[in-house]
Amino acid sequence: MSFAIAPVATPQRARAFTAAVSLTAAAAAAGGVVAIAAGVVRNDTRTLAAVTLVAALSFVGSGLVAWRRRPDVWTGALMIAAGFALFAGSLANSNSALPFTIGLVLAPLPSAIIGHLILSFPEGRLHSTLERLVVAGAYFVVFVVQIVMLMFMGFEHVTGCPCPTNLLFIRDDMALHSLIMSTQRFLGIVLAIAAAWIVVRRWQNASGPLRRALAPILVTGSATIVLLLAELIAANSSTRAWAAVSSAERVAIALVPIAYLVGLFRARLGRVAVSDLVIELGRMPAEPGHLRDALSRALRDPSLELAYWVPESETYVGIDGRTVEPAAAAGQTVTVLERHGQRIAALVHDPALGEDPALLSAVSTAAGLALENERLLAELRAQLERLRESRARIVEAGDTERRRLERNLHDGAQQRLVSLALGLGLAESKVEQEPATAVTLLQAAREELAQALSELRELARGIHPAVLTERGLTYALTTLAERAPVEVVLDVQLDRRPPPAIEAAAYYVVAEALANVAKYAQATTATVSVTIDRERLHVEVADDGVGGADASAGSGLRGLDDRVQAFGGSLRVISPPGQGTQILAELPLRS
Amino acid sequence: MPITVLIVDDHPSFRAMARAVLADDGFCVVGEAADAESGLAVARELRPDCVLLDVQLGDADGFALAEALAVGGERPAVVMTSGRDRGDFEALIGASAACGFIPKERLSGSALGELLR
Repeated sequence: MSFAIAPVATPQRARAFTAAVSLTAAAAAAGGVVAIAAGVVRNDTRTLAAVTLVAALSFVGSGLVAWRRRPDVWTGALMIAAGFALFAGSLANSNSALPFTIGLVLAPLPSAIIGHLILSFPEGRLHSTLERLVVAGAYFVVFVVQIVMLMFMGFEHVTGCPCPTNLLFIRDDMALHSLIMSTQRFLGIVLAIAAAWIVVRRWQNASGPLRRALAPILVTGSATIVLLLAELIAANSSTRAWAAVSSAERVAIALVPIAYLVGLFRARLGRVAVSDLVIELGRMPAEPGHLRDALSRALRDPSLELAYWVPESETYVGIDGRTVEPAAAAGQTVTVLERHGQRIAALVHDPALGEDPALLSAVSTAAGLALENERLLAELRAQLERLRESRARIVEAGDTERRRLERNLHDGAQQRLVSLALGLGLAESKVEQEPATAVTLLQAAREELAQALSELRELARGIHPAVLTERGLTYALTTLAERAPVEVVLDVQLDRRPPPAIEAAAYYVVAEALANVAKYAQATTATVSVTIDRERLHVEVADDGVGGADASAGSGLRGLDDRVQAFGGSLRVISPPGQGTQILAELPLRS
Repeated sequence: MPITVLIVDDHPSFRAMARAVLADDGFCVVGEAADAESGLAVARELRPDCVLLDVQLGDADGFALAEALAVGGERPAVVMTSGRDRGDFEALIGASAACGFIPKERLSGSALGELLR
């Protein structure tokens, strides 16, 4: 028996593999039939042997079907393995030593594989640590414990058994053998109950499609588990009763793989669903959200969610345009839908649907145009949402700026003028009695006035640089460069003046960038270059500082981005840590 | 005996100028404080007749300090002052424990005396 059934790459190899497995199974079955007919099999186990052969063939056949459908999952391989283990198990009925021993070792293996199959339904992988523990425990009990038990099993004690030699036999220790056997039975019962509990829990938590898929395997699986329990309990009673229960269990087992396949086919929903979808999409009113509902109905998955891909921002958005993260919630699977090789959406759906990628792709093809339309709609909404946010930020930035100006006026020039008024009043009262003091007070007042004027000038320039309006961008940037605390290399190549709003935007980009250089970059030099072409004004500010600036973090850069985008331009910040910061703005000359 | 005054204002230039103006007009400026907390402490210690109190003390509210000063045995007369427009505070002044308001640029001994009368 081999577990080494890796996904086969080519159709030729796949056919060869199928043929090899089928031939081997057929030969094994034929051998079994001949053995039963020739009387090699002991009389009392003849029925059991025959049923076992049928169950084995059922497993191998279903396994091949499952494997051809999904060579990338272990389900088919496991079924084929279970089939051969059943064949091998019936070797225990043989009269010669080697097949007899192999049969004894492998006889209980199918129950563990069946448990593994049921728990890994439908994706072909186990879902939790508990499931992995149960399956590992089952393999341990049916294989390792079985071998250890056989080492101490003298068959002379078994009634009515003119048995061949047990090749694993070390010494006859009836007490130890009984202990191991009881342990094996006890563990078997515990694991069977645990498996049953897990299956019941899965049923309770399952969605519609998964329940439909689970039902057949659940019925046959629980029948098998019940009969297995009965078999384990009946092991002490008469051989006849045990053989009857065992035969019934084999019949149930034979139905398991078929039920498994039925379940898998129920999980795929048939092409009818797709044609229904096409018709529904044709009738569909162009209202947002309808596509999700139509897909949800076609795929019979009420939990289904759609998220649309926005290539520009590389995020998913909902139909309302808000950013969403289509992370797989508990028990959900995410499938990315493509159209003409372009990602258009992500479908969050029941994992049972993932069992049939062909259906998902048929549905996404059928819904392709509608999906693309809704995607464009969602993208538009996302843009509107961004616009709304940026507009709110621009207003907020305006308010913040006004608050700052009021504060500056109040704390600066206004305080100086208050002092000036009081000082002049004081001087006035001293003019006659203490003219010298009055002169000193007047001098101080003049100084105060000069300071107030200087502060007002500074503030006015912050509100709007007059030189920009009067003398243009080149001159305004020169004054900006002269006032910067780091050395600024200026390269402005303009053959004409851009529109005033664009000039102002470019000026503020440079002003904010240089302010950031002074505050954070720890740079020694900065270069500012401005060029103009037919369409655009290009502004670049680069420094040799520490880098690591984040355009989305600071309000300054964010505000610049809003300002530039308001004119349909773009702002990029390239700032790898340790390699300086480069700010690139492109401003269209006409909106 | 001259009237004692405590000046509570967060601008040092105003405190200095107000002290000079009031002293020139015959008041005795017994202390200065730059914020609400020290203003209250100094007022309790020096017990001035009058507290000249800025409406906005940095981040603290001058009116809250006016209320605090109005609690206790010997309550000083509180006169609010500000560089901002009187209209901004009119209702607050009326409702507060302060006995009046003088715009900063109009501060003088006679203006203060008028309110204390």
